[in-house]
Amino acid sequence: MIELIHLSKQYTSKAGTLTALSDIDLRIEDGAVFGIIGLSGAGKSTLVRCINLLERPTAGKVLVDGEDLTKVKKKRLLEIRRGIGMIFQNFNLLDQRTVEANVKFPLELVHTPKEEAAARAAELLRLVGLEEKAHAYPSELSGGQKQRVAIARALALSPKYLLCDEATSALDPNTTASILALLKEINQTLGVTIVVITHEMRVVESICTDVAVISESRIVEQGKVSEVFSDPKSEIARELIIPELIRTVRSSGGSKLRLIFDGTTSDMPIISALALTLGVAVNILYADTKNIDGKAYGHMVITLPQEPEKAEAVKKFLTENHVSFREEI
Amino acid sequence: MNLCSRLFGQLGFGGFAVGVWETLYLTFLSTAFAYLIGLPLGILLCVTDAGGVKPIPWLNKAVGFVVNILRSIPFIILMVALIPASRAIIGTSIGNAAMIFMLVIAAAPYVARMVESSVKEVDNGVVEAARSMGATTMQIVLKVLIPEAKPSLIVGAVISTVTVLGYSAMAGTIAAGGLGAIAVTQARPSNAQDVIWLCVALIVVIVQGIQEAGMLLAKKTDRRITARKHKKRRSDAV
Repeated sequence: MIELIHLSKQYTSKAGTLTALSDIDLRIEDGAVFGIIGLSGAGKSTLVRCINLLERPTAGKVLVDGEDLTKVKKKRLLEIRRGIGMIFQNFNLLDQRTVEANVKFPLELVHTPKEEAAARAAELLRLVGLEEKAHAYPSELSGGQKQRVAIARALALSPKYLLCDEATSALDPNTTASILALLKEINQTLGVTIVVITHEMRVVESICTDVAVISESRIVEQGKVSEVFSDPKSEIARELIIPELIRTVRSSGGSKLRLIFDGTTSDMPIISALALTLGVAVNILYADTKNIDGKAYGHMVITLPQEPEKAEAVKKFLTENHVSFREEI
Repeated sequence: MNLCSRLFGQLGFGGFAVGVWETLYLTFLSTAFAYLIGLPLGILLCVTDAGGVKPIPWLNKAVGFVVNILRSIPFIILMVALIPASRAIIGTSIGNAAMIFMLVIAAAPYVARMVESSVKEVDNGVVEAARSMGATTMQIVLKVLIPEAKPSLIVGAVISTVTVLGYSAMAGTIAAGGLGAIAVTQARPSNAQDVIWLCVALIVVIVQGIQEAGMLLAKKTDRRITARKHKKRRSDAV
């Protein structure tokens, strides 16, 4: 388990103090795929670097399996880092080494015997589907292939954790999907706990089990992806998760309701039923569904009737039919 | 034909052959020793820099200061200044051995800066990746910085060698040899323009040779090139 406790990071320079992270509390359970989402400049890259202490936090604790990384000796820190793999947006492969030699690199650092390292590299390249590229150089590979090599390299020392810093941001949508599928597979078959830093919704949507939303150096919302995504509460989370809905709500007047379908709602055609039962016409401003963890989650924005009593009746009807909703202004 | 026979008549073919040989060995031996000192210094400058793998500001500033001082002294003045040091360390202040000593002292700080700039070209992200794998500072230097900077280091070595060759032309002033010494101490007093120009021509040929061979080596060792070239190289190797 990774725990960040009251973590803060400030950069001090002649120009003044810049706060990158402020009072961060996070708990990443073993086996999770934990997404940290935020706009660029929110502090998410600094946050992930605090987990393996590539950045030393100004205050707070970083507990990895109960051990506070900010307190351990240099030698122990290097050992702990070997149990935390990391991949990057720009892949960061060694250009002058072959694919195979890149994968062997972390093994060389711990003086793994040659035959053992070669066998391990072959095994890892098979896992990421690049056996036939073993003797190629990174400059001969596509972005997706480079990231696969980076993943194989990050897994070389059989880490318990894998940190992904915008790992798919430099890739096209199809390649992104295949890399995400690979990460999901690694999580499920090898049991590696994955921390994903991203600004892309679809990344969190497609592989994460938990999510934290970071904005202006702070965690503004966190929880299970299904909860946060079906009903984002903070302004920034809403803008990240349901941007079109927010735009629609803002661009139209009057009072509105946002209906949330969380996959458990009955198959009843709720809007038709509402219109027929109450005799009110509702205008649908926005509707969308998302597939999270195999379940369909939907949002719908409807305008409320002008008359207060009719508006109340609509809300009562929805409550009786177990549809959750929020009022939107 | 006439020109050649007149030249060889004055100095002899052997005289020029010895000149070329002395120029080459003064240059390469001095450059090699300069790298023994300059390479570690350059890496130290890069690693201990504020944005380096292991920032040590005071050490960086101290080494940088010494390097800058040595680099700002014109070589001919440095030579004069180094006469007592040469006598103390080499046992003499004249001849090829003393010349090599002086060339090394002059070239090492230059080499250090060349190495520093090459090593700084290595992508910080790659260093970060190595750190994330628990690499020690020494492992980062030996397994990341130097191998990744290799093509650029070779280009730097070519430039350094040519610079040292230029300095070596002043060998005549302390009774050391080489083409520069022939031109300055033997040809100039008798105003043998053709001898001077033959020395110049030979130096041009040597510089071209070093330049071409070095660049070829740099290109051959660099793996950051197009796929087509790689396939060609690999099939050549097979």
